[in-house]
Amino acid sequence: MKRRSVHYLSVVLLSVSIVLFMSGGYIHAKAQLAQWLIASAWSQVIDSNEQAKPWPWADTWPVARLEVPKYEIDQYVLAGTTGESLAFGPGYVFASAAPTEQGNTIIAAHRDTHFEFLQDVQQGDVITVHNAKGIQRDYIVQALSIVDKQDVAWLDNEAFSHQLTLVTCYPFNAISVGGRLRYVVRAVSMEEISA
Amino acid sequence: MKTSPGLDHHLLSSLMNCMLYSWGIGFAVSLVLMGLVFMSTNAHAEINDELVLDKVTSLSDLQSGQLAFRAEKGHYLVSPKLNTEVDIEVNGLLARVTVSQTFTNPSSLWQEGVYVFPLPETAAVDHLRMKIGERIIEGDIKPKTQAKKIYQQAKNEGKQASLIEQQRPNMFTTSVANIAPNDSITVVIEYQQMVSQNANKFSLRFPMAITPRYIPGVPIDNTEEISHFSGEGWAVNTDQVPDASHITPPILLTDSDTSNRANLSILLAAGFALGQVNSSYHQIEEVIVNDNTRKIRLINDVPANRDFELVWQANDQQAPQAALFKQYKNGEDYALLMITPPNKLNIDSISRELIFIIDTSGSMDGTSMKQAKTALHYGLTQLRPQDSFNIIRFSDDLDSLFKQAKVASRINLDTAHDYVNWLRADGGTEMAPALERALQANQVNEGLRQVVFLTDGSVGNEDELFSIIERNLGKSRLFTVGIGSAPNSHFMQRAALFGRGSHSYIGSEDEVRQKMQSLFNKLSHPVLTDIKLDIAADSVVEMWPKVVADLYLGEPLLLTLKSATLPDEIIINGVYGNQPWQKKVALQGGGQSEAVSVLWARRKISGLMDEYRRAGEESDLIKTDIVNIALAHHLVTKFTSLVAVDKTPVRPVSEKLNTQAIAINPPAGSVMTQFPQTATPATLQLLLSLILFLTGLLLRWRRA
Repeated sequence: MKRRSVHYLSVVLLSVSIVLFMSGGYIHAKAQLAQWLIASAWSQVIDSNEQAKPWPWADTWPVARLEVPKYEIDQYVLAGTTGESLAFGPGYVFASAAPTEQGNTIIAAHRDTHFEFLQDVQQGDVITVHNAKGIQRDYIVQALSIVDKQDVAWLDNEAFSHQLTLVTCYPFNAISVGGRLRYVVRAVSMEEISA
Repeated sequence: MKTSPGLDHHLLSSLMNCMLYSWGIGFAVSLVLMGLVFMSTNAHAEINDELVLDKVTSLSDLQSGQLAFRAEKGHYLVSPKLNTEVDIEVNGLLARVTVSQTFTNPSSLWQEGVYVFPLPETAAVDHLRMKIGERIIEGDIKPKTQAKKIYQQAKNEGKQASLIEQQRPNMFTTSVANIAPNDSITVVIEYQQMVSQNANKFSLRFPMAITPRYIPGVPIDNTEEISHFSGEGWAVNTDQVPDASHITPPILLTDSDTSNRANLSILLAAGFALGQVNSSYHQIEEVIVNDNTRKIRLINDVPANRDFELVWQANDQQAPQAALFKQYKNGEDYALLMITPPNKLNIDSISRELIFIIDTSGSMDGTSMKQAKTALHYGLTQLRPQDSFNIIRFSDDLDSLFKQAKVASRINLDTAHDYVNWLRADGGTEMAPALERALQANQVNEGLRQVVFLTDGSVGNEDELFSIIERNLGKSRLFTVGIGSAPNSHFMQRAALFGRGSHSYIGSEDEVRQKMQSLFNKLSHPVLTDIKLDIAADSVVEMWPKVVADLYLGEPLLLTLKSATLPDEIIINGVYGNQPWQKKVALQGGGQSEAVSVLWARRKISGLMDEYRRAGEESDLIKTDIVNIALAHHLVTKFTSLVAVDKTPVRPVSEKLNTQAIAINPPAGSVMTQFPQTATPATLQLLLSLILFLTGLLLRWRRA
């Protein structure tokens, strides 16, 4: 009797573990695979200059390409920062300046998928952003900071210069979701620094 | 296996024991680790709450990782403190507000204070004075970049200086350079504002939602600062600003005497016999000067953490119907005219057609969808039997409750509630077809046609949508309701503007009822539309805003005029509930006020800022216009700042200046209310999976 219940318990535990493993793995797989589909949507965007969805029922579309050669990062940025779009790629914050244009462009992504590399980013690193019109802009990392999630003064959009702000959750290795802190990388257009 | 059962058994049991121990130890270790991680993240989460306040009585008690780099090098920056003294003089419809911010530097280092604070969106900031001891230095208005240069130069030369900049129309920063050790500098800012009026209630709000926290290092939007600081030992660390709240509590709140505080006094001269005067959130004491005038002050000075609001009414419930203020300045006449539109007629008898559009795209998933559905259910209960209605839902496809709007009968309403219950958020956001469908559909009855649009507005093709609204609007009116914590406010406002309706936001489940109630109040009362000014042909009057928006229930008509010579009389024409409405106003008499020209200029700048945003490439001309008006009227705008500099240097250049920023929460209604959530549960799931897997395995082993 006791043996039997132990058997059932072990079966339940093993199956739950498999489900959890698949669910956790799915998050990472989705993050990787989606970028492939988005890549083809992106080339469509560049060719036709129109919004193109990576898959027909998607609620988002690629708006920019983010490159950080130093960390071998080449990602497609999606419109919006809803849970749905962030699962597939970094999200562009609608309220911020358009990618590569004047003002502060804000891009957010998950700390354990696309923006894991932010923990290695240092001052002086170069980040390249391409917009849908094929315009490219190089930004140099100026400041790394940790802020409260409500401290949106950091999102100031009235900047006259060309700025790029990358945002992700902090601390990087935390296990639980929903912490208060955000890691913010601020970069300024290379032209404006040399000018 | 059968050949040596003894050995086999022995091997098996020792292997099992070994596994058991290693697993046990592993499990314990991972539990401890998990606990630690959870605790550390919880600690992060709580730092902002009051919980931590009594725990942290001195900085050395703070052991969390965020402060470690400071502790290591032994650098604690004692931040400047800020006391705010607010004096408000209300004169009829006008309010002159004087805000004195005293920056105190309790440290032994020279400091720069940077303070971000909210003001009402319509505030016209036109005055800056810096008080150092007995001396007063007047501020000058300058183009933004020039003002910044003047300030920077003074700062580097060791002179005391202050700078007021506009970050957003309702968000400003004060910077104060070279506050001497253990000394203070007072910055006095003055602004002009209009009292708000809704039906017979007058109100005035002073925002002071300040979460007392400090952001050392790089102030907002100040890139020079970064290069200035880098390479100066600890200054590199200042760039890595940890959450300001980690530093704030020990300095600010352990001792209530030293926290950021505000005091407020008001001289309320209503211009009519006052009835009730109430403060919405604070305790006040009143002194009655005469029937029309009261002196009001806060009973105690308060921690500056809650907005102040004063609401007053006329004694006999009969609020004044009109008001006129005039000013003669530099050869020109300015006038401010307020008229209360009629609000007696009720349209209970008039039928109307109400179309709800609900966004069921994937981005609405979760709480947004829940709020939208609650709002929709509430909206359905507000329909009257003579109304007709329909619901259109859209994501990447669209469908509707009925083919055509149907009367709000019990049966139809029940069907509608069921329909709403079944809505799920999924798929893309194809807004255009839904808008076209809602606006183009043939109207079934003769009354009003109102479209209520519930969405988070997460679209990138706003301009296309605006032109669809403009083209198809016809008799319909569009009311946008922004759902969720960060709706696309640009879309909400502009869509409602093009749709000649109004916009509102629902940010949480608790707000649904109240916000929908006020929306339906507007929907069920007639609107004053097509407001035009009829002025004698021989006088040229410049009026801002150029086009008067439709007025919904309780909203007063406010006109600001400028002319070489004001006409004796103006006629205001409009349409009120399908009937022509006319008001003749003689511009005779009225109060004299220095504020009128400032308010006129502020409204002109608002109007020009709208044009500036729309202009795109040709925006430079408009910018020049804005700068010229701002300079002429001494106003702080996006392109102009007030700067005050003392002539004598006080800080020896050899001594370093430390920059401390004092930040507060941006007011609700700013572009974003918080950063997005950016972590997935993947790690947690994988870890749990591993633990469960090992446990399951162990159980099976033991069984075997």
